[in-house]
Amino acid sequence: MKKLLFFLSILLLTAFHQSDNNPFYIPKKWKKPTYDFTKNPLSIAKINLGKALFYDPILSRDNTVSCTTCHSQYNAFTHVDHSLSHGIDDKIGTRNSPALMNLAWQPIFMWDGSINHLDMQALAPISHPNEMGETIENVVFKLQKSAIYPTAFHTAFGDSAITGEHTLKAISQFLLTLVSANSKYDKVIRKEAKFTKQEKNGYKLFKTNCSTCHQEPLFTNHQFENNGLPIDTTLNDFGRMNITKKPKDARKFKVPTLRNIEFSYPYMHDGRFKKIREVLNHYTKDIEHSPTLSEHLQQPIILTSNEKIDLTAFLLTLSDKEFLFNPAYSYPKGFFDK
Amino acid sequence: MLFRICIISFTILFYSCKTSEVSTLSSTSTDKFSITFQPTFGIEKLILNQKYPINEIDSLEINVLRFYISNFEFYNHNKLIHKVLNSHHLIDLEDEKSLEINLETIQNQPFNKIKCHLGIDSTTNVSGAFGGDLDPTKGMYWTWQSGYINFKLEGKSELCPTRNNQFQYHLGGYQSPFYALQTLEFDLNNSAEMKINIDVQAILKNIDLANKHSIMSPSDNAVKLAKVVAKNFEIKNAH
Repeated sequence: MKKLLFFLSILLLTAFHQSDNNPFYIPKKWKKPTYDFTKNPLSIAKINLGKALFYDPILSRDNTVSCTTCHSQYNAFTHVDHSLSHGIDDKIGTRNSPALMNLAWQPIFMWDGSINHLDMQALAPISHPNEMGETIENVVFKLQKSAIYPTAFHTAFGDSAITGEHTLKAISQFLLTLVSANSKYDKVIRKEAKFTKQEKNGYKLFKTNCSTCHQEPLFTNHQFENNGLPIDTTLNDFGRMNITKKPKDARKFKVPTLRNIEFSYPYMHDGRFKKIREVLNHYTKDIEHSPTLSEHLQQPIILTSNEKIDLTAFLLTLSDKEFLFNPAYSYPKGFFDK
Repeated sequence: MLFRICIISFTILFYSCKTSEVSTLSSTSTDKFSITFQPTFGIEKLILNQKYPINEIDSLEINVLRFYISNFEFYNHNKLIHKVLNSHHLIDLEDEKSLEINLETIQNQPFNKIKCHLGIDSTTNVSGAFGGDLDPTKGMYWTWQSGYINFKLEGKSELCPTRNNQFQYHLGGYQSPFYALQTLEFDLNNSAEMKINIDVQAILKNIDLANKHSIMSPSDNAVKLAKVVAKNFEIKNAH
């Protein structure tokens, strides 16, 4: 019996390895993912189904908006060039869409942590009147009526009766495969590449000034912090406090990853900064002190203009072109041509 | 990596064997126990969309009554004898069938008390997507903020200064201090069935409809009202 089980395990493993469609892996020396894979074991069919759903505007009320509208691959899966992301009927939201990557390690979602699990994340944009303006009930209804999805769900889950659970789990499967760990920084850490002198100095500055919140290797500590941004009075967004209703959480937002920062502009929860330069200027001279300001920002950060250039050079080493152009993540033409 | 995947597949196979064993065992040696929920308005059977007078002038109607009952525990003289794990039941007045829950208990094991949850516990709330009665398409999951709605009561009354005179109470919340889950306890005099009255009139008597016409998120008010709701789940001594 044990031998048989072992054999089955090997089969399972080779099935994964032979396919180019499952880019999920745990990079060397990274900690164990937060996502519980035993409740939603990855399979190629489920990942492919999830990818199709991610690219399909069927998720929105009038079939015009897909996930990729605000999360496009070439921008590290965020909405480039829009400070506030827009959705259905050209309506504009109140926050900048986050870049999507390394989600298997992320314990909490949204700028204010309103979503507690990757599986439940998609419900928010699907239902939001400014994003997709749809309901999960009606999405499932539309998928059941479609010519392609019942078969795809059957292949993936062994059941052509489409449910909300399976729809959300399939989307999670695709999102989990978005692993970005092949930037120049990663290669330097793995001793496959070398920093330039400038990048090396930038890395040193980063470790002194930024890495408490933007912890390696994910470049976030997944905490909520007030980073001293003045309140935009047209939005009056108090972040985490909206969820916990605790005054100590006022003006706190999730610390975002810095991976692929070159491509995920504009920056901050409301996308107020277009350039990395503006972000660095904020941290060095524009921090607004308030009772909930992060304890890590109580002391001023001092950088000369040359140091800012070096730090920027380091931040650019976090760009992962293999991730940004990985065909496994791009539009699944074959799926829709069936 | 190879080792880890092997372990995971072992675990999955092991668990799937284990659960099937338990269910075959239980199907051969169980007693049946049925629970019926009977929503009322005072002493009358509650009928959806029907007007009930609440004073000389005003009336109200109920359009939605829907809630989760979960995690049954059976006790005999305060000793736990049986637990039904991962059992979540959506009770919806619109769906007559859902008002009755049929459970299996250990054969020839008497019990005189049942405990269960009104709502969904915090662990389930943070564990991702589920199917069946917990499927998010059931309209009992908040989308803008994660979490199940434990109890939903919606209706209309002239007393409510809202659009279409609507009132809506969506009670939920899984995080302290707004943990809205309630434990219900019922003392029994037989081990075959129980009927539970839910008096919506008594619940609404605790609410100032003119001022508090909606609760839609985890809050102090949601927890307070959840406690009132739980108190009005009462066993009916029909025999």
